[in-house]
Amino acid sequence: MNERRERPGLTVTGLTKVFPGQRRHPDVMALDGIDMHVDPGEMVSIVGASGCGKSTLLRIVGGLEQATTGAVRIDGDLVVGPGPDRGMVFQAYSLFPWRTVAENVAFGLEVAGQPRAARRERVAELLGIMGLTDFAHVRPGQLSGGMRQRVAIARALAPEPDVLLLDEPFGALDAQTKLSMHEFLHQVRQRTGCTVMMVTHDVAEAVYLSQRVYVLSARPGRVAEEVTVPFGVARGPAVKRDIRFLDLQDEIEDRLHTAPAA
Amino acid sequence: MTAVADAVVATAESPARARGTRRTPPPTRGQRQSALFRMRADIPPGLGAGLAVGGVVALLGGWTLASAAMDTFLFPTPAATWDAGVEWWRKGDLTVDLTASVRRIAIGYSISVVLGVVFGVLMASFRSAESFLEPQTALLRYIPASALTPLFLVWLGIDESPKITLIIVGTVFFNVLMVADVARAVPQEEVDAAYTLGAGRLRVLRQVVLPHSWPGIVDVARINLAAGWLMLVVAELLAADEGLAFRMVRAGRFRRIDTMFAVLVVFALIGLISDMSLRQLRKRTAPWSEGSR
Repeated sequence: MNERRERPGLTVTGLTKVFPGQRRHPDVMALDGIDMHVDPGEMVSIVGASGCGKSTLLRIVGGLEQATTGAVRIDGDLVVGPGPDRGMVFQAYSLFPWRTVAENVAFGLEVAGQPRAARRERVAELLGIMGLTDFAHVRPGQLSGGMRQRVAIARALAPEPDVLLLDEPFGALDAQTKLSMHEFLHQVRQRTGCTVMMVTHDVAEAVYLSQRVYVLSARPGRVAEEVTVPFGVARGPAVKRDIRFLDLQDEIEDRLHTAPAA
Repeated sequence: MTAVADAVVATAESPARARGTRRTPPPTRGQRQSALFRMRADIPPGLGAGLAVGGVVALLGGWTLASAAMDTFLFPTPAATWDAGVEWWRKGDLTVDLTASVRRIAIGYSISVVLGVVFGVLMASFRSAESFLEPQTALLRYIPASALTPLFLVWLGIDESPKITLIIVGTVFFNVLMVADVARAVPQEEVDAAYTLGAGRLRVLRQVVLPHSWPGIVDVARINLAAGWLMLVVAELLAADEGLAFRMVRAGRFRRIDTMFAVLVVFALIGLISDMSLRQLRKRTAPWSEGSR
């Protein structure tokens, strides 16, 4: 990976996670020998049934949990803990309710010790991209679910992370909002070119948004399949009616349901 | 609620239902509820204010009736209590007593709240601190603090320090455990988000756990303040030269029951004022948390 210094990529090698058993319960192997990579500028999704350890995998990449064995590297650097180079977006409840939208987005910049003027400029830029300029001084409690997730994405992008990690970011949204967030994420990716690793259980969402999809089997989580999506980055909702799109979606869903359970 | 009730009525009175020949009341489904006693439902704002005033009037009325029914010497009327209070104030003793008691509470209870926040947040944030502190706290908090009064008098003498110590000891365990509960309620996602934005542990504690817990901490302080006054009274009853509870004992010795009543009223008013101030403090400093209650 060292040859790509300017736009770092992410690699996961031989990653295993075992949760030690509590009294009389055996150890639980959540992830078993995961190998995957995300190239710079690429968006990759991980799909799997609930309990397949996909969120654990993302949390390990984010540095919030430790792998039992194996390694996560970014541009060759070993990940040992959380950091602003891996911005993370959670399903819900991650915004600071006492801070306004602008103050939430500025959090990572404050941590980085950026001067006030630079912070204000960067926050204004991001709020512009996210269509949140009019809500800069509103607190999260007054926003809809979709807007909150846009704030969370803006906040994670503010310190210019190498990778954006999305943990079922649209899972708590209603169907309509979810669709508009998909278009929104497309736009953000086209404007910022950010590298994204997303975890979801929504196969259509994964196929629509990603260049590649990893299918995880359940208990223990193993990479059951790696699928390349045959559409360019600039794709619109019409793609969802493309026969290749539907075939791919069916194939992945079949794979999910037949994935061997341990 | 109302919409559902209306819908039921509409169905019941529809022509299809009212087709019968006899004039029996149309069948209804469900049970109507009076506007006054709908569980958790809002009542008209004027009614709420009226009920509040009515409650206080009923209290004073009950008091007057009680003193009329009993001997007014043993159970002074509100008016006699007022006069005794004015006399207490004219002599200058009310100011002295009030200052002494409030000062003890202010010092002792502030220390207790600060300790509560420090240890409560530590317990909630670090499993190691929890393992170390929880059993000791659980053990110590079952020792009635009032039982320690003679001990503190022996150790610390009869000046201010045993009184302040008693207020601290009598409230600190409640504060620690309740603040810990508040701090545990900080969503893990907020903590994780702060970490992934580059924050270290100290910053997470200062800029995530504390601000999120702040309104809850103010509530805990407000609720446990009553226990602080309880401990103050215990301390002053045993040994004091001034203070509200001291005045109570002294008035009792001189059979000035009207003064004793005046002291009780002052206690109630202080409680009311501090409660309302802390509610205001929460409202002003954490407006974001008001809607979620």
